[in-house]
Amino acid sequence: MLMDPQRETKTRQTRRIGEGVGFERTRRITGYLVGTLDRFNNAKRAEERDRVRHGV
Amino acid sequence: MPSSIIKRDGKSAPFDSGKILNAVNKANKAVGEEEMSPTDLLFVTEKVCGRLEREGLKHVEEIQDVVEETLIRYGYARTAKAYILYRAEHAKIRNAETYLMDIYKKLTWSSALEEDIKRENANIDGDTAMGTMLKYGSEGSKFFIDNHILPKDVSAAHNNGDIHIHDKDFYMLTETCCQIDLIPLFRRGFSTGHGHLREPNSIESYSALACIAIQANQNEMHGGQSVPNFDYAMAQGVGKTFCQEYWKAFAAYVQVKEDGSEEEALALAGEMRVLAGEDIRMGAAEDFGRRLSAAAGAGRRPLLEKAHAYAVEKAGKATDRRTYQAMEAFIHNLNTMNSRAGAQVPFSSVNYGTDTSAEGRMVVRNLLLATQAGLGNGETSIFPVQIFKVKSGLNFQPGDPNHDLFQLAMATSARRLFPNFGFLDAPFNLRYYKPGDYDTEAAYMGCRTRVLGNIHDPERQTICGRGNLSFTSINLPRLGLEADGNLGAFFALLDERMDLVFRQLLHRFKIQSAKKVRNYPFLMGEGIWMDSGGLDWDDAIAGVLRHGTLSVGFIGLAEALKALTGAHHGESDEARNLGLRIIGHMRRRTDEESERTRLNFTLLATPAEGLSGRFVELDRRRYGLVPGVTDRDYYTNSFHIPVYFPLPAFRKIRLEAPYHALTNAGHITYVELDGDTCKNPEAFEAVIRCMHEQGVGYGSVNHPLDRDPVCGYVGVINGVCPRCGRKEGEGVSPEVLRALRRQYPDVPLWDG
Ligand SMILES: [Zn+2]
Repeated sequence: MLMDPQRETKTRQTRRIGEGVGFERTRRITGYLVGTLDRFNNAKRAEERDRVRHGV
Repeated sequence: MPSSIIKRDGKSAPFDSGKILNAVNKANKAVGEEEMSPTDLLFVTEKVCGRLEREGLKHVEEIQDVVEETLIRYGYARTAKAYILYRAEHAKIRNAETYLMDIYKKLTWSSALEEDIKRENANIDGDTAMGTMLKYGSEGSKFFIDNHILPKDVSAAHNNGDIHIHDKDFYMLTETCCQIDLIPLFRRGFSTGHGHLREPNSIESYSALACIAIQANQNEMHGGQSVPNFDYAMAQGVGKTFCQEYWKAFAAYVQVKEDGSEEEALALAGEMRVLAGEDIRMGAAEDFGRRLSAAAGAGRRPLLEKAHAYAVEKAGKATDRRTYQAMEAFIHNLNTMNSRAGAQVPFSSVNYGTDTSAEGRMVVRNLLLATQAGLGNGETSIFPVQIFKVKSGLNFQPGDPNHDLFQLAMATSARRLFPNFGFLDAPFNLRYYKPGDYDTEAAYMGCRTRVLGNIHDPERQTICGRGNLSFTSINLPRLGLEADGNLGAFFALLDERMDLVFRQLLHRFKIQSAKKVRNYPFLMGEGIWMDSGGLDWDDAIAGVLRHGTLSVGFIGLAEALKALTGAHHGESDEARNLGLRIIGHMRRRTDEESERTRLNFTLLATPAEGLSGRFVELDRRRYGLVPGVTDRDYYTNSFHIPVYFPLPAFRKIRLEAPYHALTNAGHITYVELDGDTCKNPEAFEAVIRCMHEQGVGYGSVNHPLDRDPVCGYVGVINGVCPRCGRKEGEGVSPEVLRALRRQYPDVPLWDG
């Protein structure tokens, strides 16, 4: 059900919904969830960036 | 004795030994210990003057160096520290106004994106007016505490990064947190300062009042608020709702069948309600049906039996629906209601999963379903922190009465990051557990706080009405760097640091103890804190505070081990054994301090929001970039294996589990799963089971949780949204969204 948004823009100049809207990335930082990384302090952003997944 | 000195600006001034004596005296007074008599002061001053003369030292910096060294040499270590602080802070104190005003300027004119100081706590919006107002207050308070309240050596230790006094801005005001028992509070009814709220009578009002109680308490404490027995507490609201719905349906049935008036039907229902004895309960409807039959006359019996069957079914469904809505409202409220002048929502936690009553089960099932559904547009709710209490015999094993809820909890966590899992079977939790008594079921607050043992009152090693008073953390990596590979030196420094923290926690406790009930109209005035119900408005709270805990925390065990052995506890057996020795030693020290003072000193695996970057920055200035120690922007959380170190989930759990038994003030172990593994229920359950088996007290699974607000997709989004195909910032045509909405009902509506 995926459409190619690029081609759509070229063929029809219709109204687009969501331009400039980012994705939300919810992460747990020391126990609390935060809806966006913008509000983390620098150290916590670095910690989140460094995390590696653990295999099961 | 030198005749003159050279000042910082290079000018010369006459030497005055009285100035040295005064400075030492002032530093000594600030410590409040190590008392120096006038003779002692003269002695030290003479020693300083003698050495200045011998070595021909004249510069003010050199003179101050000699003062420091002389104090240390003659055993005045604390006075020396205070003197060092005076030196370091001298300019700052002289320019107090400038210093504080510089901070205020930053707060006023920079956005949170630029300034770390505005992002110390990720859940407070530093850009709003009230968020900034809070920061003005907080920074002003910290300055006041540093310069006028704390013993100078303590203040120096905090500011130079030896230790971190958490919530220092609240030093003169509050305690950290409390485990609130809503059951007696609701039974009595309560007041929040704006009128009295009567005992609630439906699940909707139970849910609403739970939020109000959490909010009211949050305004009187500096940490989070926890409901340790959410299912038990809300079950009573479900029970009342079920009764209402039952008798409503009962009367409706009678009215229709008899073709009579509403009044007659209600009168009959009312009569039967009295005759049948104890009112109907959701889990014992059949028993009530039998009593109802027995109480009815033979003539009415068939009608009433049918009315009963109809009403039970109808009431069950209606109560379930209303409970779902009440739980949905509970979550929504806790994510939107304000505390602290509107700058943040209350930090709330709820524990549940052990109430096996039909009512309690209905609460938990609906809370989990509402959590899975998310907020209005499907967003993940940030609060409350949810903790599912895992217990063999109640929910952990197949066949346990709440096993279905345990399964639902794992499915919910795999989708929404909550609930976390608290393990009542871990030996250090199990020893307090008494079947059927929620007050003995280990509960966790927020990110990890645990309050259960009670040396002050060993008869009441229970949960409700207790909490943490304050906590202070030790910078372990610095001790490792200072000791420079010498273990004896490390443990000596650790002991010294712990003594300092004990002294500081007691200093704060004394301030807290002088407060009165009237300072906490809700927490103490409404009798939420243990034993506070028996106090009068003007009574001091010193006695009842002794039920709380004073916690010593630590950060960066991994980096300390790196500094000491070259490896952290994920890398070598030597480090693993040493890690347990260090934390075991700390726990012995807190236990001994508890024995000595009869206060609940406990050991905390510090979560370190806002702190992890501060320590490493200060240490880097002192020791430079030390590989594996100061070369990242953060220190590792408490006893965790570093987040960057790759290892299998089960090994991580096995390595961290022994620390849970040692950290009686709280702990948590996280496992990071990728999106696909997380969606696999067997894999998720295997992780939780491993935690249970290894004796973890509190654990949770992290996984990437992204959302596209345009199409409503929730899951992992790498570059392109898997549902609508847009990249970050791109638009989608309304046609595409309409088509998607036919397939996925959770696609948000974009009107216009
Ligand atoms: Zn999308």
